[in-house]
Amino acid sequence: MKLDPAFIWTAFVKLLSAVPTTLFITVVSVAAGFLLGTAIALFRIYKVPVLGPLSAGYVTFIRGTPMLVHLLLIYYGLPAVIDGVSAAFGWSFRSVSIPYVVFALIAFTITASAYLSEVVRSGLLSVSSGQLEAAYSVGMTTPQAIRRIVFPQAFAASIPNLSNSFIGMLHGSTLAFTVSVVEINAKAQIVASTNWKYFEAYIAAAVIFWGLTVLIERLAGVLERKINIYNRGGVA
Amino acid sequence: MPGAKFDIAYLFDYFPKLLSTLNVTLTIVSLSILFGLGVGFLVALPRLYKIPVLRRLSEVYVSFFRGTPILIQLFLIYYGLPEMLKLVHIDVTRTPVLVFVVLTYSLHAGAFISEMIRAGVTAVDRGQAEAAYSVGMNGYQTFTRIVLPQALAISLPVFANLVIATLKDTSLAFTLGVMEMTGKADTLITLGQHYIETYIDLAIIYFVISFALERLFRLLERRLLRHERRERTAGKRFGRNVPSLRGLLAESAGVPKGGAGG
Repeated sequence: MKLDPAFIWTAFVKLLSAVPTTLFITVVSVAAGFLLGTAIALFRIYKVPVLGPLSAGYVTFIRGTPMLVHLLLIYYGLPAVIDGVSAAFGWSFRSVSIPYVVFALIAFTITASAYLSEVVRSGLLSVSSGQLEAAYSVGMTTPQAIRRIVFPQAFAASIPNLSNSFIGMLHGSTLAFTVSVVEINAKAQIVASTNWKYFEAYIAAAVIFWGLTVLIERLAGVLERKINIYNRGGVA
Repeated sequence: MPGAKFDIAYLFDYFPKLLSTLNVTLTIVSLSILFGLGVGFLVALPRLYKIPVLRRLSEVYVSFFRGTPILIQLFLIYYGLPEMLKLVHIDVTRTPVLVFVVLTYSLHAGAFISEMIRAGVTAVDRGQAEAAYSVGMNGYQTFTRIVLPQALAISLPVFANLVIATLKDTSLAFTLGVMEMTGKADTLITLGQHYIETYIDLAIIYFVISFALERLFRLLERRLLRHERRERTAGKRFGRNVPSLRGLLAESAGVPKGGAGG
């Protein structure tokens, strides 16, 4: 079997139809993970009695186990829990009616929340306490100071980490093929299996992921420069 | 719900069975990191010394291996390499899958390690090398006695993250049919249909190993950074210790500043 360059292009065009699924999984899990991660980070920074240590344990555990294991545990474990609860309350709802992609979204959100909580935490801690003191001294309340002074600076400081996490989740979304979600990787397998041109199909998939990654890096770079304008020093 | 009813006895039953394949997982990790260090050095040097053409090549290499998912790389090398080698009349159809897996993880780790080396060497203050020269050390002595130990200490947290990430990534090798822990879990499930018990065991094992690795690397880091700590306490004495937001929000001490290490 010889390399068929024409098929790389054919596969590339076919794989483009799966890009929205990959991006959908990534964006949703990163967005939900960011909200959950922020809550976790705040619990830990403010040392909330029970929730603080619980969050720390959660983050350590999730970061210590592979993303694939999270996905498989949710995929096989959650239906049992849902059906058990449903049966106990006599509902007619059964886990069979839940689409596969939902399990992928839940699992990836859990993974993302642990990693993003560390990003948010390090971002918040990078803001000097003098900023908060200055905000207080001009008469701001704590919520005002955090919303107007601390968060924007923390966000600016965590853009590189955020883009890295986003790229990590983009690459991780390839695991969704194990629960029958047709994203780019699964699509490449389908396209390849029709005529056994695996190499060509995966070249096309690699090119798409590479392009997406470079695009995200560029966008993050532009955003970082824009948002860090306040930080340039000087007088004009 | 797929599979058999949850039975806690299987948690204990499957644990030793999964552990029996731990050596395969650890072999993949250690070989990949070892080869990855070699690849990483080779890739980092052209960029550190700004060698014209090689520098561009290593940039593309790093960009590609960091810009595509490891799963895609696994398939790409597993399906692509034999075809490539066929063009030069080398037959690798009998080569065990494990070789392809280790090769992929080595190339993947190599890209990240080259970035780590670059960052580590750049982070060492040039004044350190100048000071070494001024007390009469030669280039080799300066590198091995002054620059390398500091670069090592700086890159250790990144290295620790990388080793743990590689450990977790080995769970993907089962897609090519390698009998490492996740592959073993797959066969156990095919036999007994006990999905949840198997995956809980799997999670526990991965967690314990990465937790132990993290602790080990932290100890090592503390040892390598002995000289820094003395400096920091000296800084405090002169009142130049700037408090962070953490200091104000929650008064705590002894926690390292947040960053990549987390």
